[in-house]
Amino acid sequence: MEHILSWITFIPLIGMTAIICLPKQSVGLIKRVSLVATGIPLILATWLYFQFDPQSVAGGGFAFEEHIPWIKGISANYSVGVDGISLPLIWLTCILLFLGVPASFGIKKSEKAYYALLLLLEVGILGVFISLDYFLFYVFWEIMLLPMYFLIGIWGGPRREYAAIKFFLYTLAGSVLMLIAIISLRLGTGTFSIPEMVNMAQAGLVVGPEFIGLDYSTWVFWFLFVGFAIKIPVFPFHTWLPDAHVQAPTPISVILAGILLKLGGYGLMRGCFPIMPVAFQENAYALGILGVISIVYGSFVALGQTDFKRMVAYSSVSHMGYVLLGTGALTVWGTDGAAMQMFAHGTSSAAMFMVVGVIYDRAHHRDLNGFGGLCQPMPIYWGLTTICFFAALGLPTMSGFIAEALTLLGAFQAGDPRFQVLVLISVIGIVITAAFLLWAIQRVFFGSLNEKYKDYPDMTPREIFCMAPLLFLCLLFGVFPHILLDVMEPSVQHLVTLLSVGK
Amino acid sequence: MDAYIEPLKALAPELLLTAAALGALVLDLLMRGRDSRFVGYFTLVSLAIVAIILMNRIGDEPTAAFGMVVVDNFGTFFKLFTVASLAVVTIFVLSDRNESHHHIGEYYFLLLGAAIGIFFMVSTNHLLLLMLGLELLSLASYALAGFHKGERKSAEAAMKYVVFGGLSAGVMLYGISLLYGLTGTLDLVEMAKSTGEAMPAGLAGQLTTSAVPVALAMVLVLAGFAYKMSVVPFHFWTPDVYEGAPTPVTTFLAVASKAAGVAALLRFLGALFLGPDVQSVVAEYGASVGQLLAILAAVTMTLGNLSAMRQTSLKRLLAYSSIAHAGYILIGVATMTGAGFEAAMFYMAAYYFMNLGAFGFVLYFEGTLGSDSIEALKGYGFKAPLISIAMVTFLVSLTGLPPTIGFYGKYLLFKEGLDAGMYWLVGVAALNSVVSLFYYFRIAKMLFLKEPASGSVPRQPLFAGLLAVLCVLTIYFGLLPDAIQEFVRNCLLI
Repeated sequence: MEHILSWITFIPLIGMTAIICLPKQSVGLIKRVSLVATGIPLILATWLYFQFDPQSVAGGGFAFEEHIPWIKGISANYSVGVDGISLPLIWLTCILLFLGVPASFGIKKSEKAYYALLLLLEVGILGVFISLDYFLFYVFWEIMLLPMYFLIGIWGGPRREYAAIKFFLYTLAGSVLMLIAIISLRLGTGTFSIPEMVNMAQAGLVVGPEFIGLDYSTWVFWFLFVGFAIKIPVFPFHTWLPDAHVQAPTPISVILAGILLKLGGYGLMRGCFPIMPVAFQENAYALGILGVISIVYGSFVALGQTDFKRMVAYSSVSHMGYVLLGTGALTVWGTDGAAMQMFAHGTSSAAMFMVVGVIYDRAHHRDLNGFGGLCQPMPIYWGLTTICFFAALGLPTMSGFIAEALTLLGAFQAGDPRFQVLVLISVIGIVITAAFLLWAIQRVFFGSLNEKYKDYPDMTPREIFCMAPLLFLCLLFGVFPHILLDVMEPSVQHLVTLLSVGK
Repeated sequence: MDAYIEPLKALAPELLLTAAALGALVLDLLMRGRDSRFVGYFTLVSLAIVAIILMNRIGDEPTAAFGMVVVDNFGTFFKLFTVASLAVVTIFVLSDRNESHHHIGEYYFLLLGAAIGIFFMVSTNHLLLLMLGLELLSLASYALAGFHKGERKSAEAAMKYVVFGGLSAGVMLYGISLLYGLTGTLDLVEMAKSTGEAMPAGLAGQLTTSAVPVALAMVLVLAGFAYKMSVVPFHFWTPDVYEGAPTPVTTFLAVASKAAGVAALLRFLGALFLGPDVQSVVAEYGASVGQLLAILAAVTMTLGNLSAMRQTSLKRLLAYSSIAHAGYILIGVATMTGAGFEAAMFYMAAYYFMNLGAFGFVLYFEGTLGSDSIEALKGYGFKAPLISIAMVTFLVSLTGLPPTIGFYGKYLLFKEGLDAGMYWLVGVAALNSVVSLFYYFRIAKMLFLKEPASGSVPRQPLFAGLLAVLCVLTIYFGLLPDAIQEFVRNCLLI
């Protein structure tokens, strides 16, 4: 099938156009159109996932490529393609956006605008994952911000305006640094093509002038890194995240945690590390430290939260730290772990936000100390939540376990004693994560049942439908990780080769 | 005979405009104070004819007329720009709900008069004619700013504008007279290429003796351009005049008049420092003028953006934003390269779409709510979704985010800035973009994030349609900017 990546990316745009043309009263139709417009990309992406031959990109290169000249004035092209790192994330995006539609059925305000923006968001996200041209990448990267601002700002909680603009400002601050770095790369290499830049980097041809007293590779590396790190988010750039999460409506939190954070990690692996491999090697240990700080700090802060959603938000900071630690170690296992962690966290954190959404819809508050004994009126909810939290804390047989184990093994295997110390420290994070998750289960489900909550209905079929597939994926990839790893492995190996240049 | 006919042909657009201006005046007289919309339609038709003539000239070899006027593609670009902005401004006047009876025939006369000034300003290498064109534009603008003479704010705006305008015109004239005294000529090309041995001595002659008087003259002349472009520290008039003047006039000042300032500055610097026969000592001196402009750019954008953050009136906010944008444009000018000038010109094109759109929104909303305070915008997005969505698009473009033409314009400016090695300046500009997001999105926040107050908004379908077209073009040229970039490249000065 030709142009399959473009179809996957732009079908939601067609859906958005259709929704704009519909009258705003026909809410049912709008919802159906949204389901179709996210469903078709999901089917296509699933087909693509099984169609993809990982060995075809073993030595670099991309599959399902399309190249169309776009802006001649600056020779930017519409170049897209996938490899083993981006494909699982594209699939994850399609899954979460599809589940995000029924998860949004509870929203009763300006539905037309909501679903139109949701579909626009999907276009932006998918566009970033398929782009092989830095200009195109940046355009999609920024297109994402606008729907996100309005989705948080219009349908969010009481402090939504603050959270929305904070999210926007933080991300834009990172983006303009990225933009300067990208332009500078364009001037230095004469191309926007990411694969070409990577090739030139291998030959040591990416050179340019100093800036703020740093040599070229260092400042470009850090500019790009900060741009992506804000999105991940890495300590100390994480402060927008809890606000955005807490104020965003449930489905948007799900997408935010599930995919938007992955864009940061993905961006580092696609557009930052392989283009600046020498600067990466020089700073790998610093990245490892930042990763470990995020892991440990995030888990401790989560432990201290009484707001259910804030706790889950900080757990994301903690879990995304593994991505940096794993990549920084510069081993195949570590990078495998990082790539896998992105997928695993995408499913488990998305499910966790759904968990929060379910109880918030009933109780209209998120105070962890205000619940208790909910396992009696809501047994299904209790069961699914427990599975979900076990997935998040990295219990064996869950995908999170495989990812974290690979990351830590990889970091240990690096043979660098400094990284081994980091691994030891990050274990604290694992323990604390287990502690706050189990404590949360205890506070919500056990203890004496509050009279107010006695008559709460259990999860509705719609809610189960939104959550169960995610938990299924956690289990599936926990028991059969090779389904995912086989797809990733060749590309990850190639990435590690790229990053190890000259070493 | 032919010696007069040929140059007159070259001046056809100017002559036509003059005829149109006089025609508008006569027509208004004949209408005897009845609804003057007819004069507006007449203006639109004459603008269309002028535009067609100009379009046919694109790509022609440059010619000269009467020794002072140069007809080249660069000038044609800015003339087209002026005609296109004037057409939109005329539609604004026609849709202005504040002009309830439209006994305003002289409005069009003044607008056309200002355009004639701009036409001469952008098509000469001679400082005297440049000054005359600038003054013609200014005179018409003063009258336009005070058009609502009964209103205090409008009268105050005109007064401030006259005082500031008079002062800076005087300063500029003094600078020009110094240049004449130092170099012996008023023709910029002559000034740049004279070797310094014979008369006129040219800049080279003076620079080899001492650069100090040249620096003084240069600063004084630049002050005149800075005033028209509202570059710091000659920006003080901008917020008050923009706020007090009728909104269509504000639009004209913010778009056409500012573009004229940019055009004259580019022509001045281009002819003086970047021309083919420029003496090397003069070209070197151009680099240091570029340094000065870079500093002005940084200060202008920073001050404009920081001041915009605290505004409560939408018109004042856009006034400060237009100051900030003058700073962005100066990045391209400060590079002192052809590519940098091209980026500045492209940014003017981008500026055209997004600012006409933004001011059009102001006019629409001012006409329906009778206020231009940002607070009054609360929930307006739910009452008038089409134009509010268009406004958000303009705001996105003003912030410089994809997929809009504002992003591409900013990209080009940043690229040329970095290419010229001005990393610090681009860094400042990038930070400024972040700051500007904060206040631009205060408007978006009011539009869509606040609950609407009760009451409905009267509709103006044609006007809303115009805004929608501008909005679509903002995105279209943002995704496919090649057409405009090509056009700009063909109209380049150097």
